[in-house]
Amino acid sequence: MFPWSKKKSSASVAKDRLTIAIMSDRSHETYPFMDQLKAEIIEVVKKYIGVRTIEIKSETDGDIEALSIDVQLDK
Amino acid sequence: MGIVIAVISGKGGVGKTTATANLGLGIALNGEKCVVVDFDIGQRNLDMILGLENRVVYDMVQVMDGEASLPQALIKSKVNESLSFLAASQTKDKSVLNSEKVKKLLEELREKFDYVILDAPAGIESGYEHTIEFADAAIIVVNPEVSSIRDADRAIGILDSKSQKVKDGEEVNKYLVINRIIPQMVQNGEMLNSADILEILNIKLLGKVPEDKGVIDASNQGKPIILDEKSLAGQAYKRIATRICGNSVPMPDIEAAPKGFMKKLTGMFK
Repeated sequence: MFPWSKKKSSASVAKDRLTIAIMSDRSHETYPFMDQLKAEIIEVVKKYIGVRTIEIKSETDGDIEALSIDVQLDK
Repeated sequence: MGIVIAVISGKGGVGKTTATANLGLGIALNGEKCVVVDFDIGQRNLDMILGLENRVVYDMVQVMDGEASLPQALIKSKVNESLSFLAASQTKDKSVLNSEKVKKLLEELREKFDYVILDAPAGIESGYEHTIEFADAAIIVVNPEVSSIRDADRAIGILDSKSQKVKDGEEVNKYLVINRIIPQMVQNGEMLNSADILEILNIKLLGKVPEDKGVIDASNQGKPIILDEKSLAGQAYKRIATRICGNSVPMPDIEAAPKGFMKKLTGMFK
């Protein structure tokens, strides 16, 4: 509201949080196996290296649909 | 043949039943024959909002089970005779519904009315699925608030996968009503604006309804707020109902700051 106030408006925080939550909800809807897939990937990667967490995101860009798998290593 | 519109929200308490009552009455005020049906089995409320709770003798479950005829169970509104109402069962639970029964009831209603408006139960369980299964279109009611919008997206997802029209390869038209907008909060960046909500949910906007204290007073009395010409929410519902009937009405920017700089200033420092 004021140019000197650096705080992000709570409405835009709400928008960002909602966008991420809904994207994740929708990918669970399209890929109901998501949680199992995640657990199995963790098991496989674990054989070679420590894993902290895995995030799977579905992305659509025009006609191309992709699953991006983000593996965070445990150090 | 009438059109069946399900009023849905996902989350409870966002004003779905109030919207159903007002839009049903608004459609009737446009001269169309309309019936509003309470699909919230076990938690009947639409009768109270319409002020018809004392007139309920038979409910829709009794009609489905052949214990009463449809004309026996239909209740005419006191304020507009183009509007009829069919009550939910208060004693049974939603497991009494099944697709065949719902389909048959809706076919009968389609023959008698131009618009069949279904008030869906909150949540995304079987009662909700039966409400949307044979609907031609859905009106999604949300509040500008994170839990309402997220739940609405889930409800839309189920609509897109369980609706008979979608299974037949057609599309269910979906329209958004944003309810309980507080313009000053939107102005201050404390409440999601309609553009953001539309972007997140990716559906068409049917109308915006401002927060209005008169809504509680209206439901206290069983007189839908659309009957109050001065009420901002009532005026908003009137515009939405007219749009549903196929007439275009300008969409005033109810999120804009109140007129007058001083008023705006005082609002800022409240």
